[in-house]
Amino acid sequence: MIEGTLVNLRAMEMADLERNARWINDREVTRFLSLRYEMSLAAEEAWMRERVTQPVSWQNPSFAIETKDGRHIGNVNLFNVAAEDRKAELGIMIGEKDCWSKGYGSDAVRTLVRFAFDEMNLNRVQLHTYAYNERAIAAYRKAGFVEEGRMRAFHYTEGAYHDAILMSVLREEFAHQM
Amino acid sequence: MLEGRLVVLRPREASDVDRYHAWINDREVTRFLVMRYPVSHAAEEAWLAHRGSAPMGYSNVGFAIDTPDGVHIGSIDFHHASPEDRAARLGIMIGDKAYWSKGYGTDAMLTLLRFGFEEMNLNRIDLTVDERNGRAITCYRKCGFVEEARLRQDRYAEGAYHDTLIMGILREEWLARQATEEAR
Repeated sequence: MIEGTLVNLRAMEMADLERNARWINDREVTRFLSLRYEMSLAAEEAWMRERVTQPVSWQNPSFAIETKDGRHIGNVNLFNVAAEDRKAELGIMIGEKDCWSKGYGSDAVRTLVRFAFDEMNLNRVQLHTYAYNERAIAAYRKAGFVEEGRMRAFHYTEGAYHDAILMSVLREEFAHQM
Repeated sequence: MLEGRLVVLRPREASDVDRYHAWINDREVTRFLVMRYPVSHAAEEAWLAHRGSAPMGYSNVGFAIDTPDGVHIGSIDFHHASPEDRAARLGIMIGDKAYWSKGYGTDAMLTLLRFGFEEMNLNRIDLTVDERNGRAITCYRKCGFVEEARLRQDRYAEGAYHDTLIMGILREEWLARQATEEAR
């Protein structure tokens, strides 16, 4: 278990299946993600089983986010981890909407970024988000991320093209904040 | 087969393997590409067989670059094509160094851009490039690509971290460019 200030990160379990399936079929949640199509319980189960049965590791740094009183509210993970470049991409979802805008997301991001630098020995963590996801952009800034650019018309949804914002935090920057 | 002014783009064949094998083991060629480790002839053969035996289609667009008199000089492709976003990422390599800085790369790019926008109906094409690769950046600008982002310390090579630029071109920019060309 990795301890943050407001949340803890723990390994995902099959017992999380029902919640995960509910979240990724909730359009209010997924409109900010790259997910577009609904997913059956069976497909979600197969996807989770693949994740859950391999140890959390360099290849599979994915976590369930829990509040301090043990409520599972979302997931956060690193992917495309590159050993030579010492970098990874970060993805996060706060599935429980009553937990939005309360600092849980920023804390989960900050906690995983600290783990990435202090334990996995990475040098750079990056992410991209859609320009309309202002809540997320603010949260990432709060967690130390800096805007690096804007990919124009990168994502099509809800009848229009939207820009994507690229953000990253470097090891040297993060160390200064802490 | 796609015809440009200086180059022809054609499907890659198993018989191209010797040249690909030589190019991707040439550090001068790969120094700005994502490749890092040496590649065996057998591995390259397997890759070509895998890529070449599937028909080209939306998610498998890869061409050999030939001069009009049939000299194979490089390779160009789209990857990560997303039909909903109508976006794809472009990659290019001019492996035969005798053909560097002579407009062949630019022409291959323009030829594939035309195919991407005018046949595949893409809305956005982008690419990543090492900040040190000035020759490539100049070529991409000439083709109409705009710098959209600078990923700091994105890539480690030759003992240091280097930034990566993301450059993109939109359909409307391509069409405007074509209109200007025609007016000339």
